[in-house]
Amino acid sequence: MSANKAARIGEEVWKTRIDKVNAELVTLTYGSIVAQLCKDMEGDYLEVNKQLEKMGYNIGLRLIEDFLAKTNMGKCANFRETAETISKIGFKVFLNITPTVTNWTTDGKQFSLIFEENPLADFVELPDDGRAQNELWYSNLLCGVLRGSLEMVQMQVDAHFVNDVLRGNEVTEMRVTLVRIIDDELPPGED
Amino acid sequence: MQRQDPLQSPFVPFSPNPSLQQGTPTATAPLKHSLTASQSSNLRYSSSRKSIYDRHLNRTQRSELSKSSFAFLFGEMVQYAQKRVSGIQDLEKKSATPSFVPTHVSPAGPRHLKSLSEAIHSLTPRRLNLHGYTIGQRLLELLLWRDGRSAKRETRILGILQFITTTLYRSIFNKPADALEKSRDNEDEYMLIDNDPMVSSYISIPKEMSQLNCAAFVAGIIEAVLDGCLFPSRVTAHSVPTEQFPGKTVFLIKFDESVLEREAVL
Amino acid sequence: MSFYFAIVGTKDNPLYEAEFGTSKQGGDGVARFREEQRPMNQFIVHSSLDIIEEVQWASSTMYMKCVDRFNNLFVSCFLTAGNIKFLLLHDTKADDAIRQFFTDVYELYAKTLMNPFYEIDMKVTSIVFDSRVRGAAKKYL
Repeated sequence: MSANKAARIGEEVWKTRIDKVNAELVTLTYGSIVAQLCKDMEGDYLEVNKQLEKMGYNIGLRLIEDFLAKTNMGKCANFRETAETISKIGFKVFLNITPTVTNWTTDGKQFSLIFEENPLADFVELPDDGRAQNELWYSNLLCGVLRGSLEMVQMQVDAHFVNDVLRGNEVTEMRVTLVRIIDDELPPGED
Repeated sequence: MQRQDPLQSPFVPFSPNPSLQQGTPTATAPLKHSLTASQSSNLRYSSSRKSIYDRHLNRTQRSELSKSSFAFLFGEMVQYAQKRVSGIQDLEKKSATPSFVPTHVSPAGPRHLKSLSEAIHSLTPRRLNLHGYTIGQRLLELLLWRDGRSAKRETRILGILQFITTTLYRSIFNKPADALEKSRDNEDEYMLIDNDPMVSSYISIPKEMSQLNCAAFVAGIIEAVLDGCLFPSRVTAHSVPTEQFPGKTVFLIKFDESVLEREAVL
Repeated sequence: MSFYFAIVGTKDNPLYEAEFGTSKQGGDGVARFREEQRPMNQFIVHSSLDIIEEVQWASSTMYMKCVDRFNNLFVSCFLTAGNIKFLLLHDTKADDAIRQFFTDVYELYAKTLMNPFYEIDMKVTSIVFDSRVRGAAKKYL
């Protein structure tokens, strides 16, 4: 499936099959979660990253079902198709954004998602404590979501941010790597 | 120079800063016209994004996301709150006071609770309430700012309740609350009715406490707006299912005596 | 003309303060308070809080114009929805200009508050905020 086709599907599903909610409510809710985590972890941003990833993972395990139900997508033929599906349909129907897929490795097992827009990070400025900008990945929840949802469709991936405008980088970029195809049944809901 | 620790909420009494008398810049803000003083920031900005002050406040005013995104996020918020509560329960057996209960919610004292699940049931909604509260504080200023020149501060009980029932509710849930009633028995009580709380109707986690948590969240938003506008009150949520509206929720708003006293004088 | 500006939180705590001089009519934008005047500025502004507390219930506008006087100085106030007070101490009346200044600051404050890492009643320490406030002062005052 081409990127264009994926984009059309994403647009179509977004318009016709998705119940919508005020984006700012989601932004503020996520912000409240991250801020609370930072308090609970007492400023240990690395731990906050872990917690966000875990939360995202839990979401991902359930989100995939929602996604499949709404889009009626069949299995992707290869990892490249997976990437286009994630960016043009997945992110579109949940967050109404379409991050760009780029920076493929030659073996086709790794790509980047570049986020022009990131509703989770609207209005946000990281604490000026000399550490947050070096340690916190504010949107780390998204990495967990990818990991959890792809695991449910037999793909073990690693997803992590390598750039974030909140950190002063020029772009917000997530690196996604296919670690392996899961042939045997893995029990979901790893802690 | 000591930077602001964002994890603390400093309450600094207003008193003359001795360093002002020498005309030197203070740690809080430069009192000289130039920024050459001891101001230093470690924050880096991307050349494209600059800072939050460059972003227009109305940019995402009409933006939408999928409801299920909110539902998933909310679900995790609840799960996390429950985990925190059950973790803290052990700590609280050793020490007497709850460490995280927000000050605007009167603490019940978990030492009186009999079981862990009881603790989770009663304390998780409080954390949800706190999340709602921080959101409500922000929505209040955002909504009023968006009114521009015609923005007005509410000074009467009915005014602030109408603001909550219509403007606030519409901005979050795309519909006004279903009804606003005054209690017949108590002068200080009002009820805001939501037949089908959006938050509850969309949560698909099959946890029995989900409705209570959702309502606690919304109650927090309402309470923040009331507190912010100086109408201190207690807001509690009550599930009153009917056949037609199984999710019907009543938010009971009980105003402080000071509010009624003030209202009588105006 | 010199101005002393303060943002006061819900617990009467100062969140931000700054001094400006006028940039109008050839002014260089530098505040010229006498040294002995300076600590008075805070006191004057603080004491006007009591009046504001009463007066705010008589009107529903945010811009409250001049709420207090002290000798030749005026205190003008802008009250946000969440009861955060913008207080300006000035020696000349300039209602319209001051209103425009307050309006700009309100936008800056709202942006500050929307950041999840900023909590109500925290001091505002952002350099960018400070430079924007001064920019607004330069533009209007």
